[in-house]
Amino acid sequence: MTCAELRKELPELLEWDPSAKLHAHLMGCEACSELVRSLEVIIREARGLQACEEPSPRVWNSIEIALRQERLIRQPEPESRAALVPSLVRRWGVAAWLVPSAALVLVGAFLVIGRQPIGQMPGAESRALVQVTSRVDVSDQQVLEQLALDAPLMKAAYEKELSNVNEYIRDAQNLVDANPNDEGARQSLMDAYGQKAVIYQLALDRSLP
Amino acid sequence: MTDPRHAKGQPSEAEAIAGAKQGNAEAFEFLYNLHKRRVYSLCLRMTANIAAAEDLTQEAFLQLFRKIGTFRGESAFSTWLHRMAVNVVLMHLRRKGLAVVSLDETAEGDEDAPKKDFGAEDLTLSGSIDRLQLQAAVERLPPGYRTIFVLHDVEGYEHNEIANLVGCSIGNSKSQLHKARMKLREFLKTSRAEKAGKP
Repeated sequence: MTCAELRKELPELLEWDPSAKLHAHLMGCEACSELVRSLEVIIREARGLQACEEPSPRVWNSIEIALRQERLIRQPEPESRAALVPSLVRRWGVAAWLVPSAALVLVGAFLVIGRQPIGQMPGAESRALVQVTSRVDVSDQQVLEQLALDAPLMKAAYEKELSNVNEYIRDAQNLVDANPNDEGARQSLMDAYGQKAVIYQLALDRSLP
Repeated sequence: MTDPRHAKGQPSEAEAIAGAKQGNAEAFEFLYNLHKRRVYSLCLRMTANIAAAEDLTQEAFLQLFRKIGTFRGESAFSTWLHRMAVNVVLMHLRRKGLAVVSLDETAEGDEDAPKKDFGAEDLTLSGSIDRLQLQAAVERLPPGYRTIFVLHDVEGYEHNEIANLVGCSIGNSKSQLHKARMKLREFLKTSRAEKAGKP
């Protein structure tokens, strides 16, 4: 057997036991032996690449957000709504009221947005919306501060999620400003606020005992 | 993939699947944590891009979780998930116009020319390979070679399965795999030569 013949059969050689003729050639040819050894090492080490990398926490966060939005995650109702409130206060103190109130503010904001074009809003409602958005920024900071205390490993991931959704809100807002009568643009803005409300809810869930 | 029972109090995979069908958040998270490394590593190897790999991992799990109500347990859950992940990645590569597999059927190529393997200056590759070097070498492979190499040598698919997945012949799959291995050998030898300070 020649080197050229061996190389022609090499793909099969590496899958199955080599024949006696191939063995004989490898015994007498260092170059071909080195080639076969090299390829066998690559094949052996390749398996070590399986399942050796870890995705960042944002991957699960994004999956969880999507599952909740699609209602594939269906949390059971709390046994006692009254009990939940004292638990929040005990864990979060004054901040316990900030997250659900921020979520309600967000819901209120996008309901207002949904009803009429921004450009046509009366002055008082526009000013209220500005107050809402500035209050939301304050709430982001408070949520992150509380996460830093209660679930520090998740803080960076939530910070990233909030940054992404705030950017989404800004883009959607710009779109609405440019096209106040565009139903699709308003829907995008509502979706963006809805996503933010979900993130707040997840952050709250993470921090509960 | 195994079906581990972790420390006391941890559910089995079957219990987690049942919980996920009921919409239990912890069950979904358990299944994700059980399989995330395998899926993400597959996506990363095949795309050589962290952002793309994370997006595709997310997409694969979401597709799985949306269909989890239809899982009947006839095959292993991990097999189902893995196949879904492979399809997600292949669709991504096709959408981006990256060659999933070369149409070149021939087995011989320049890398098989004996001249390149002979010579006193060639370094032997025998022995161990640094995993990071191998990772870097895999990333340098052309997309078509990389796909076949990852599916066969890293993930353990057989050629008939690969042929079915990527839409090529078994012969083409074998040919591409051989070329990929030869290319990796070339990259690794070059890397070793550079480390040894040779020109």
